[in-house]
Amino acid sequence: MNVELIWTLITAAALFGVGIYGALSQTNLVMIMMGIELILAGALLNLVGFWRYLHPDVAAGQMFVLIVMTVMALEMAVGFGIAIARFRNKGSVEMEEAAELKE
Amino acid sequence: MITGQAIFIGFFGLATVWFGIVVFRTFSMVRSAIALLFSQTALGAMFLTMQAEFLGVLQIMMMATEMSVMAIFMVMFMMDPGGMGEMDMSHQKRLSLIAGFVSFVGAVAVAVFIDWGPVTITVVDTAKQTEALGLELLGRSMLIFETAGITILTAMIAATAVAIKPVPLTVNNSTTGDLPVGDFPVDSLPTNSLPAQKEDKAK
Repeated sequence: MNVELIWTLITAAALFGVGIYGALSQTNLVMIMMGIELILAGALLNLVGFWRYLHPDVAAGQMFVLIVMTVMALEMAVGFGIAIARFRNKGSVEMEEAAELKE
Repeated sequence: MITGQAIFIGFFGLATVWFGIVVFRTFSMVRSAIALLFSQTALGAMFLTMQAEFLGVLQIMMMATEMSVMAIFMVMFMMDPGGMGEMDMSHQKRLSLIAGFVSFVGAVAVAVFIDWGPVTITVVDTAKQTEALGLELLGRSMLIFETAGITILTAMIAATAVAIKPVPLTVNNSTTGDLPVGDFPVDSLPTNSLPAQKEDKAK
């Protein structure tokens, strides 16, 4: 089996795991968004790895990467919009103080 | 066989994971944002090593901008952006650690035990790659590309609408929205007005 592909996939798995840890363990909205960024970075790396080592002649592989990058930008834009609204109303972006959203 | 490309992929892979871990280990939010920037830049370097030059440069450029914005927001929103007070802002650490580890092991198991088929060592020339991607974007995948553009525009408008300070409507000096402006007695403010705005009016 190809060493480069395996190392790429293992790195992506590690990024995904670290991102899951961050998204679940942090109480601050911006830090949770950082965890999600790492999860998406793992997905990006997988896509580039698969494109490069399995189907380098298919441009649609790179297209998928562009779409995931778009999702990352959207997550940031919407997340910061919500953060500003929350900060303006409550003076904090701590998610432990947002328990009323459950109700 | 360990090639030069494999060594660089391993090096940048370790860097991207290490900086990813540092994001959640430091008390300083600004350092967290910078660590994430380094992590994403190392990821871009991995793309360059894998001869995906357009994607690598795009990744580095996008993430440099994104993380700079994130660092600014960190300073704006955090009580202790420098982390001088060493305030812990985490919860359910054990559960999160287990979830992260299980995800990592599961993904590694899939990566190692699945037969991915024949691997292609050579890749087409960078200029040809970019040309093929451009043709793909303006050809078969045009609808997807345009949808992504419209989605970004929608998200920008939505984010601005959510973040903007609410300005109520006034018609003939009477309030129609839930947050009136202009000359009116403080008592006329609705109950759901922001306290700060009530104070401003009282002054």
